[in-house]
This record gives sequence, C-alpha cells and structure tokens, in this order.
Amino acid sequence: MARFQASKYILMKNVITVKGVTKIYNPDTIPVHALRGVDLQIGEGEFTALVGPSGSGKTTLLNIIGGLDDASDGSVIINEQDIAKLSDSQTIEFRKQNIGFVFQAYNLIPVLTAKENVEFVMLLQGASQSDRDARVKELMSAVGLSDHLDRRPSQLSGGQQQRVAVARALASKPMFVLADEPTANLDSKSTADLLDIMAKLNKEENITFLFSTHDQRVIDRARRVVNLDDGAVISDKTIE
Amino acid sequence: MLFKIAWRNIWRNKIRSLTVVGSIVIGVWALTFMMAFYDGFVTMYIKSAVENDLSHIQIHNPDFMEDKKVEFVVENVEDINRKLSSDSTVSAFASRSLNNGMIANSKGSRGCQIRGVIPEQEAALTRLNDKIYDGVYFDKSKKKNPLIVGQKLADKMKLKLKSKVVLTFQNVDGDLVSAAFKVIGIYKSGNTIFEEMNIFVELSDISRLMGDKTMIHEVALMLDDVGLLDTVQSAMKAEFPDLLIENYKEISPDVNLYESQMGVITYVFVIIVMFALIFGIINAMLMAILERSRELGILMAVGLNKLKVFLMILIETVFIGLIAAPIGLMLGYFTVLYYGKVGIDMRESMEKIGLNEIIYTELDVGSYFIITVAVIITAIVASVYPALKAIKLKPVEAIYKI
Repeated sequence: MARFQASKYILMKNVITVKGVTKIYNPDTIPVHALRGVDLQIGEGEFTALVGPSGSGKTTLLNIIGGLDDASDGSVIINEQDIAKLSDSQTIEFRKQNIGFVFQAYNLIPVLTAKENVEFVMLLQGASQSDRDARVKELMSAVGLSDHLDRRPSQLSGGQQQRVAVARALASKPMFVLADEPTANLDSKSTADLLDIMAKLNKEENITFLFSTHDQRVIDRARRVVNLDDGAVISDKTIE
Repeated sequence: MLFKIAWRNIWRNKIRSLTVVGSIVIGVWALTFMMAFYDGFVTMYIKSAVENDLSHIQIHNPDFMEDKKVEFVVENVEDINRKLSSDSTVSAFASRSLNNGMIANSKGSRGCQIRGVIPEQEAALTRLNDKIYDGVYFDKSKKKNPLIVGQKLADKMKLKLKSKVVLTFQNVDGDLVSAAFKVIGIYKSGNTIFEEMNIFVELSDISRLMGDKTMIHEVALMLDDVGLLDTVQSAMKAEFPDLLIENYKEISPDVNLYESQMGVITYVFVIIVMFALIFGIINAMLMAILERSRELGILMAVGLNKLKVFLMILIETVFIGLIAAPIGLMLGYFTVLYYGKVGIDMRESMEKIGLNEIIYTELDVGSYFIITVAVIITAIVASVYPALKAIKLKPVEAIYKI
C-alpha cells in the first residue's frame, strides 16, 4: 500500500498520458481503424466521460489505457511508465497495483460473495486479513451494501452488482478507475445511485474516474467530456 | 481464494461435474476390480500349482531332471528326512517315486505319471486325502494295489470305483512291468491337466513291483512362511550339495512369469484406464473454460496472473479427482471384499486352460495407493491442456466475448 501511495504522490497532476494512439484491427486482411492518433491527458482527481457513438473507439481506448489491449502505434504513459514496454506479467502486476476496472456487464465472479469479490484483488496484492476486512467494510458501506456482504452476485440486482463492481475496482486503492459503460444495463434509479457513489468517491477520496458512456445522465454528471468519433477526439470540454 | 473458486466452480454445473466424477468413479472401480481379479487369478494359479504339484521346494537327483530314468534316485533320503523333520520352518514334506508309464483298461490306454507315495506324508503335504471326492484314500482301503486317479482321467477312461486297470512301467533293470491296480478313489485338484496326467499308488506297492527296492525320485516340501523360501533353499543346498534343490519358481517358469508380471500388469491396467479417463476430463474442463472465458478474462484483468489461472484450473481438476477417487476406491474395495469371500466361479470357462478353481479377488494396500496416485496424476495431466487454453485467453477478447 505504501508503494502505491508513493507512486500516486509522484504523479500529482497527470495520471494518464495518451500520445498519438492508433489502433488498427485486422491490419493484414481488412484493416479497421478503431483509433486514429488519439492524444489525451487525464489529471489526478478528474471525473471524465469518454462519449461518442457506438464504434467511435471509446472501449478500445479504455482497453489500451488499461493495458488490456495493445496500441498499433503511439504510447500510453501511466506514472511515467510506458505500459507498452511492460511484459505480459509486468502488465498484469501493473494493472493489479494501479488500475481499477468496472465493466459494462457487472462481471463479478459468480462463485464468490460480494465481500469475496471485493477483497479478491487485495488478496492478490497480499493484503492482510485485517486490512482486507477493514477495506471491504469501508467500501461496501460507501456503495451502500454493508448488509449484502455474503450474497452471491445472483442474489443481487443489476444495480447492486454494479455497485459491488465499483467497490471491487477501488479495493486495491488504484491510481484511477476505468469504467466501460457502467450504467448501460441499469435502470434510472440504479444509475443515479451509482453515479452518486462514484461522484462522492471522486470528490471525497480524490479518485480519478475515466468512463466511457453514451448515457446522457452520466454525461451530465461528468466534469470533463471527451468526445470521440471515428477513432479521433473531436472535442474535449471541461465543465465548470 | 483459488481453492475456494476452484471448489465452487465444480458445483456450478452439477450435471457435468457429476458426469466426470461418475466416469472416474466407474474407471477407478473397474480398475480396482480388474487388478483384484488378476491378483486373485494369479494367486489361485500359483496356489493350485504349489499345493497340487510343485510344493515350495523339490529335491531331485540332478540327472533325473535331465532324463527321467528310474535309476536316477535321491540317494540319501534318510538324511534328508531327518533334516526336514527337525526344521521348524518346514510344515510338511513327502518322498515319492515318479514313473512315466501307461494306464490301460478295456476302453483304451493313456500315458501318465505314476506317483508312488507314502500315504501319510502325501496327505500332510498335498492334502490328497481331502481331494478325494469319490471313494477313499489309501489309509481307508485294504485292497491290494490300490490306485487313486484324477477326475479328468476317470472321465476320459470311464473309470469308476473298483475299476481294474493295468499299469505298465519300467522296473529298476529297465524292463517293462505290468500290474493290475484297482481304483479306490477319484480326486479333484482344480487343475484338470494335473488330474489327467497324474495317478497315485502306494510307494510300497510300486517298490515291490520294481524289484523290492524303494526308489525315491523326489522329495517335496512346504514351508510355513514362503518368505523363507530362499533361506531354506540355500541351507538345503549347503547341506546336500550333490542334489538338485529347486524352488517352485525355478521348477515352473510359467508360475514365475505370472508372479513376476503381476506388477507390470497392474501398471498396464492403470495406464489403459487412466488414459481413457484423461479424454473425458479434458473434454469437460474445456467446456467449463469455454463457458467461463469472460470470467477468466475479468480475473486476468484485475490482476490474476497466468500461473494462478493455470493453478486454478489444475486445482479444480484435481478436486474432481479427489472427490471421485475415494468413492471409486470404496466401491472397488467392497466389491473386492465381497468377491474375496464368495469368489467368482469361472470353473467352466477356465477348465479349458486346466484350471478348475474359484477365483477369490484380492488386492494389497499398495495397489489402492497406486490407483489413488494414478487418479491424481491423471487429473493433473488432464488439466494441463485446458489450463494452457485458459492462460492463452486474452483478457480483452474474453471479457467482450458474447
């Protein structure tokens, strides 16, 4: 934990720097340009929405930033580290220590309880039982699910599952959280609850959020909106 | 946590997991039974050969084994008898004359081995008296020249009690001698080849007919503990260096072969059954991984490294093996226990190979251990391919897989 906090301190302002990232699928057969030289900087504590129509490259950009996919060209620098230069195992380790993920379709581990899902990453980090218990308690309380610790995902509603996913993303105290369409499968009430939680964590704990969305309710809550179209940034607005 | 996930994953698709568990249970049960049946068969075969014919150790004149001439006798029988009588490791012994001759009656004639025995010694050694199923043993008969024949020979020559036969054999001078004998008993040994070839007369009768000379060609002995075989044999060899002293394995290479191949056959059985199981397990685990590829992608995305993904699949497969193996072993154990008591009657089919005894299944503890280890190794081997498939998944592709 100390190592993580030190690295966060060093980063200060810029958490993510994307330089000229290009992504071409099927380069040898029928090339599809998903990203065309994207430049982007995300500062510490930002609450940024990546918006754009389907196929505009939002998810691809998030995957490349998260080290889940490789860029065809350009670089992604996180904490002064060009993640393209990391080996597979280093990338996994880097993700574990620095990045929290929230995916569209909840994607909790169905055989684990809510508590176990949240503490899973901490276990991988080697956190002690007492640290894990305290953190799980804190996060589950923050997402309003303190009394659902022992429930399996199948015993939770979609909104509750996504709140657990947010808690899981934050369990490792990451530098930032990447959320891919986090409200896509949620009803209005659940969406509002989830956004409240994310906004609160952003504001009170200065956690950086970068999420892709085309949900206007989410866009309305973002403090910065980056608009992608056909793989390129067409606008970048900071909302005061 | 990996153990927890692996364990719970097994029960996500109960039908599939139970199918795999079931196939392993059946495999282990079948393997246990096959091995126990084979062990029981070999034990029966050796027991039959040793008890009826070979005994643990036989003593001969070395020339007799080269050329079965009647003059090649064991010279110092009294010394041998004295030695064997005083040896507490020897449970019984018997001296015999062995003549290759001919048995004839009105229905025909056949070659046979005429065994001249001392009734009380033979009864103690081979329990020939207990094997008489029709008629009586020598000690209960007062008839002149009594003869005991095997059931198989009796069937072939249509011999009955009180049937008269003529035995023809060589005397000490090399001349052929014929004498009438009367059937007083018919024995059943469980080895039809032995029954067909060996007839028993009293040593005193055949000695008289051969020229009033007691001719011992074979001294056979049984030990209380077969584990002392080599020790006793060595001691006998040291004391009677001029005689040929062999144990049953040396006398009968087929018995030795069966005994020595038991271990090899065990491993052959294990390999065949486990090889078949591997494919079933691989198939089930590949299906499981296909179904869970998104979940595996998530686990890798949040920081589960490839080694741990590999271990998770391996642990899950080993768990399945550990669930199935004890059940299969228990079923196998009780089956072996049951047929070890009541036996499997295959006398009709085995008569063709000269055996006519019930097979009692038996399996030593070591074999159960081998099966357990084999199942675990099988599970580990079977998990490798699915686990390699799992770690080759790319998180980004797995997560967004529809």
